[in-house]
Amino acid sequence: MKDYQLGEFEEIVLLTVGILNNVAYSIGIKDEIESRLSRTVSMGALHTALKRMEDKDYLRSYAGEATEERVGRPRRYFEITALGKKALQHAKATREQLWAAIPDTIWQAKLMGI
Amino acid sequence: MKNKKHTPPKFFLNFFRWFCHPEMSDYIEGDLMEVYDRNLKKLGKGKADWKFIIDVILLLRPGIIKPRKAYQNLNSYSMYKSYFKIGWRTLFRNKDYALMNIAGLALSITCCLLIFTLVKHHLSFDNFHENNEQIYRIVTEMHSENEHYSTGVPTPLGTLVRDNQTFSEKTARIYIHPNALITLPEEEEKIKYKEASGVTFAEPEFFNIFNFHLVEGSIESSMNALNSAIISERLAVKYFGDKNPIGKTILLENDLEISISGILKDIPDNTDFRSEIIVSFPTFKSFMPWLASDDFWSGISGNLQTYVVLNPSTPTYEAEEALTYYAQEYPINKQTKSVYKLQALSDIHFIDRFGGGVIDKNHLWILSAIGIFLLLTACVNFINLATAQALRRAKEVGVRKTMGGQRRQLFWQFMVETGIITAISIFIAIIAAYILLPNLNNLYETNLRLALFTDRSLILFIVVLGLVITFLAGFYPGYLLGGFQPITAFRQKLSQQHIGGFNLRRTLIVSQFVISQVLIISLIVVINQMRFTKNADLGFDKEAIVMVKAGDYAISKMEAVKNECYRLPGVEQVSLCNNAPASADKWETDILRGNSQEKMDFLINMKLVDANYVSTFNLDIIYGRNLIVSDTVMEILVNETLVELLGIINPNDALGSHISVNSGNMKGQIVGVIKDFHDRSFHEAISPTILASASRHYSHFAIKIDPQDIQSTLEGLRSIWQGNYQDQVYEYAFLDDRIEQFYLTENMMLSGIQMFTIIALCISCLGLYGLISFMVTQKTKEVGIRKVMGGGEIHIMWIFGKEFVLLIGLGFVIASPIGWWLMQRWLQDFAFSIQIDIWTFAIAGIGTLIIAAATVSYQVLRVAFLNPVLSLKAE
Repeated sequence: MKDYQLGEFEEIVLLTVGILNNVAYSIGIKDEIESRLSRTVSMGALHTALKRMEDKDYLRSYAGEATEERVGRPRRYFEITALGKKALQHAKATREQLWAAIPDTIWQAKLMGI
Repeated sequence: MKNKKHTPPKFFLNFFRWFCHPEMSDYIEGDLMEVYDRNLKKLGKGKADWKFIIDVILLLRPGIIKPRKAYQNLNSYSMYKSYFKIGWRTLFRNKDYALMNIAGLALSITCCLLIFTLVKHHLSFDNFHENNEQIYRIVTEMHSENEHYSTGVPTPLGTLVRDNQTFSEKTARIYIHPNALITLPEEEEKIKYKEASGVTFAEPEFFNIFNFHLVEGSIESSMNALNSAIISERLAVKYFGDKNPIGKTILLENDLEISISGILKDIPDNTDFRSEIIVSFPTFKSFMPWLASDDFWSGISGNLQTYVVLNPSTPTYEAEEALTYYAQEYPINKQTKSVYKLQALSDIHFIDRFGGGVIDKNHLWILSAIGIFLLLTACVNFINLATAQALRRAKEVGVRKTMGGQRRQLFWQFMVETGIITAISIFIAIIAAYILLPNLNNLYETNLRLALFTDRSLILFIVVLGLVITFLAGFYPGYLLGGFQPITAFRQKLSQQHIGGFNLRRTLIVSQFVISQVLIISLIVVINQMRFTKNADLGFDKEAIVMVKAGDYAISKMEAVKNECYRLPGVEQVSLCNNAPASADKWETDILRGNSQEKMDFLINMKLVDANYVSTFNLDIIYGRNLIVSDTVMEILVNETLVELLGIINPNDALGSHISVNSGNMKGQIVGVIKDFHDRSFHEAISPTILASASRHYSHFAIKIDPQDIQSTLEGLRSIWQGNYQDQVYEYAFLDDRIEQFYLTENMMLSGIQMFTIIALCISCLGLYGLISFMVTQKTKEVGIRKVMGGGEIHIMWIFGKEFVLLIGLGFVIASPIGWWLMQRWLQDFAFSIQIDIWTFAIAGIGTLIIAAATVSYQVLRVAFLNPVLSLKAE
């Protein structure tokens, strides 16, 4: 557990980077999350998350092309590293473990409650 | 920005750039721009801006804000070293610019330093006493037909205040006896000294109020004993050399024996208490019994002063109210209503109303303003020159920028260069100030020093001055240089648009010339007026007349001296009198006509003279005859003004009528009318004057001597005088020098204006030179083309010439009315003055033009005669 720290938002970002595969850059990620999860993502939160995960070696980045709409500023593309993949796997595995551990009656009771 | 669409709020963009971690800022900025661009298309500018701002604010979080300095691990020492090196080289490569900049700055810094020292000195007067905020002098205002103010109060007032009033914590009376004659009777040879600072009689409390310390002896014993005094260390050495002065006796005015019982530490420069001999107050009773008397209320002397330390809880108006009781109970005289006021110690040096003020505070502020102004103009010139030079450095900037130099770095590089120039200028200015200080001391009769290493405020001033100048002068050129685009710099496309408006420079130059021309106009008017006061006919002779004060006023002795003087071959005339026709001390008195008891409503100036007076001074008797000598007033000469004031139309009718003066004590018959002469300075109108003969009032010898052999005659006079008045110190003055003294302030002002005119001219010429160099740099190519096309030198010179003729002409048009108005006001102080004529302005205008022409000629001639090949081939 201790080895793979991954916050909820970080997990989403990491997954989205995976989805976008090779064309993942900040705005792309932001749009993807916003359209898929219909939640707004602030640039500040996104960049902080990206930087943190880069520091944790879950992501690596490289500078991309500069375009006119970016006024000559380069894009920065992100990829998941092997460690990042492991972290995702780990997160998924732990979740599933937890899911499996929930007794079925909970779900039924809940449904009945509604 | 290449794309005009992208204009997010500048402020927030800059804010973002400022806080963002440099590693990320490019990418995030790109994101911001992309989103902004998208929003702009979708939502319009307003909403896009708003979203941008929110984004920027949301970005302001720990992961993105740059860490403090941690990423700047560079050691920038070598960069600073390079700045200095490059700065130094640039300085040497452009020697002429550097020299001009340094000269201009050094000149104004010198003025600033001197003005600072002077202002600081005056502001520090008497500020070293304990409780100096609470010290007051009681002064007198007397209201009758004319107001009269005095630094003195009646003698007993101080004692009553001390005994009966609670508002004063300490009270001390002093009497200042100026210009004292001190004799040392115990020395083998009687030695005499005149002490201009005089002798002060002081009560012991004086030393509790003011911080003057003793080196030897005690205040208690010295200041309570009769005939006891303390003298300063300086005087002790002057009088007695190495011998112990304690117990020695000095003689005051050949009359009062005083024994020295203490030594005073030397009086500091910044106090108005100048006496170096302080005598115990009990002694004053034997020196001037009538004034020292404890019930003498009927007169005041400005020299008898009373100081109090006010109780901090008492406001001044309450104390003044308490004093009104004494004014009512003990009136000085029946007609006048007197009011006692408290004058703060800090005002004594500046306010002259009661007498004794040395300098008006406004003068100090004016001087400070001049200093600041000079500094500003020097900075402006620096900016002008530096921006003119900036073109030459465009390539350097281009290279630096291409190599990664940032605007900020280029800016600081230029600031360092400015700093070097400022430092050199300050260094030169300090040396110059050291050299000039003695002249300033002469001019203002001060004893200023530049204590560069001990005076903290001076050091601080110099440091602050350096920083301010560097910033003021370097900021704009540095900003400009740093802002060059490398590409334009390399393509030599820089033009005046890039380096600051031309009109701003012109305005600055014009204003500089306005000021220097106003100064020139003032200078000419003041010089003319001074020449007028010197050369105008005063109505009497003032050349080659020596005024000698008599040792004592016994008439028989004076007659004897007079007769001895006549034996000298160089002496032409000798007259006994109480003062010269024009004199600072005058005897003003009332006048009654005939037998009436009614005083006339004006005062007359009375001169008591012998029969030789008229011929000695070559006065002009237009009606009647000269006086016949008598011991008391019998016969009177009057001047035309008095005749007119008496209401006599035909002066002949005045002859034979009787008048009495001096409260009726002197009565006489008018025997002659003399032509008006200037009995005062030109500031004042000619007053009604009488000449009468009264031998017991004579105090001076007026001796007209042969101008051929002044030196030996003076020697002869001295020996005659010394032979007759052995106990006294011989004092003489030429009448024309005395009259010159009337215009002391004006002459002081004249030398001040002279100095500032020269400085202002220098600085404006530097400014003009800067402008012309700038223009020449701009137009070198134009001139080349013109020459190739057949333009002659004259034609080319005129291109530049018309520029400065225009500037100076404009300056002249503005300066003339200002100068005229100022000088008209100044001349109003004179009852007799010159008219400001057209020549004054002509000289000022043409003079400036010539000086300016000389200034620009080098640059203009150089460019006019330059081979066009040289200017054109460099493409």
